[in-house]
Amino acid sequence: MAAKVNKKRRSAVQSVVCPLIFGIALIAAWQTGLLHIVLNTDEYVLPYPTRIITIIGENSDKIMTNVWASVQVAVLGLIFGSLLGYLIAIFATVFPKYGSGGLTIVSAFNAIPIVALAPVIINWTKDVSSEAEVRSAVAKVIVVTVVSMASMSVNAYRGLTELPPFSDDLMKTYAAGRLTEFVKLRLPNSVPYIFTALRVSVPGSVISALVSEYFAEYITGVGRQIRENILIAQYSTAWAYIVTACIIGIVMYAVLMVIEAIVLKKRR
Amino acid sequence: MKFSGKTLAAVIAAAMIVSTFSACGSSGSGSSTTTTAAQAETTTTTAAAAESTEFVTTEGAETAAASDGDRIIAAAQAGKVGNWGLGNEYEILALLTKYGQENRFLSQAFDMDGFDDDSITLASAMTYNELGLVQNSYEGGYGYGDSVGIIDMNNEGVAMLEDNLFCTKAFAEANPNTVKAFISASMKGWKYACENPEEAAQIVFEAGSSVSSDHQAYMASEVKKLVETDTNGSTVTDYGKMDEAAMQQTLDLAKQYISLDDSTAAEKLQALTLDDIRSTAYWTDAIAGSFDAPEKTDVSIQLKWLPQAQFMGYFVAKAKGYYDEVGLNVTIVSGGGDIGETTAVNNGTVDFGVTWVSNLISANAGGMDLLEIAQVYQRSGLVLVYKK
Repeated sequence: MAAKVNKKRRSAVQSVVCPLIFGIALIAAWQTGLLHIVLNTDEYVLPYPTRIITIIGENSDKIMTNVWASVQVAVLGLIFGSLLGYLIAIFATVFPKYGSGGLTIVSAFNAIPIVALAPVIINWTKDVSSEAEVRSAVAKVIVVTVVSMASMSVNAYRGLTELPPFSDDLMKTYAAGRLTEFVKLRLPNSVPYIFTALRVSVPGSVISALVSEYFAEYITGVGRQIRENILIAQYSTAWAYIVTACIIGIVMYAVLMVIEAIVLKKRR
Repeated sequence: MKFSGKTLAAVIAAAMIVSTFSACGSSGSGSSTTTTAAQAETTTTTAAAAESTEFVTTEGAETAAASDGDRIIAAAQAGKVGNWGLGNEYEILALLTKYGQENRFLSQAFDMDGFDDDSITLASAMTYNELGLVQNSYEGGYGYGDSVGIIDMNNEGVAMLEDNLFCTKAFAEANPNTVKAFISASMKGWKYACENPEEAAQIVFEAGSSVSSDHQAYMASEVKKLVETDTNGSTVTDYGKMDEAAMQQTLDLAKQYISLDDSTAAEKLQALTLDDIRSTAYWTDAIAGSFDAPEKTDVSIQLKWLPQAQFMGYFVAKAKGYYDEVGLNVTIVSGGGDIGETTAVNNGTVDFGVTWVSNLISANAGGMDLLEIAQVYQRSGLVLVYKK
């Protein structure tokens, strides 16, 4: 018993304290200029953390407007993509003959680089609305949808088909119909796989939202601000938005972890 | 198996359409409130707009100028003015302000498809590049010919100077003779290129062109006009000279329309004077031919864009051996996309660079120490193009 607690404590030390020390050391090296020497760069391209934080503080309103634009796109795209991906997985499970081929096509979508996909979809959605703000948002959401669809469909398909040994046979001995088997066995079995998919697609949705902003007609979002500021050589401001982008990604991932903990705990 | 793919593709397509519409619905309802807000603002700005149109007519401009004003106002109200952004937008912002419009524009791609499909009715174009693609019907052109009209930034009084030649202050101080020799040979190249634009276009094309030889020839003939005419339309014979008034106008507009989130940089921008961004001394000596052997002989120049006649002077100077004559071995580094020429020069990757004066101003405001040493383009090459 004591050994177990000890082990637990050690893993807590490893997973929390070590990264924390590393993070603090990194920021300290950054602030003192040591990092600049190591990376052979200047405080111009890599501004000090204090300067970045000052800029974030001074422009919190403008940054929040851009954050909201990016988060909306990422979350909407994530929801649509995940729902679509799950529907495709169900389709593939119900019609296994056609399903495997279909899944291959969907996973092929995942291989399309966002930088290639975004301009195409932005041109494709020009007739959606006369308002540039709306059609740009639609285009960006579709990019995120396509990106998040693939990981969900592949993982959910595994969850729907890779069942515990003999569970399928057990259902058959109960004379369960296909629908009952699906609802009582396959759907619950797929839940952990949904979270596996989301662990990939949540960061993916943030990245694809930011990149698609580069190409959108309507100028908004954290990603677009990074590009604008780097091109007019405002690295400190660009870094403020880079840090903001990191925070968005981390917060969304943390929210997912909390939801996962709650949902999977209930199951046990 | 073939069938399965098709069915699935259909399902995906159907699902995508559903998602598109639902996305429409959700974001549409969000933006409807902003539309009404914009409309309310519109009514207030129309009054101001009417005033500024009057201002143009009373100034004695022809009716054409007044209708240009109407065009700008109509396109701005419809939200269909296009520009690439990314530091190319300041003249457009100044123009919109002049006509009492909100400082908003659509992000224009690096092709003219948005203009072609009417999602942008007033599109930004460089006289020597996009305008040629819109008007001409050679490879890559849209073939609009005379059915399009232009609004010229020079005539509107919002011109900002573009392609210059710059290096870091430290480099210029450490290698004054290299800088002077480089200016001297480059300006000789520009002179020859402007006298023989067709040959210059061919030289650029052979040096690794990004566009067709027809477009290259068009570009050379248009660039010649920008190099040899100032913002008032007068002829310039001193290649690369820094016109005090035009430089000052560029700096003044830059201070008004470059908005920087970094308060330190924003304060520095407002404090900049012409002496912080350019030095005429090197150019004066270079043209007079008073310089010694260069301190550094292997030098490089970073272009702002892909190799094209926009930079023909440098390609000609290299091909004609003008750089060799002054003892320089020059490497021309092409730009394009998101390459930041100011950053490349500032961190020493290259020695010289070509950028727009406004970009040099924002770079110096952000903490770089760059110095313009020659101003190649004497007037703005930016126009807004519209379908008649």
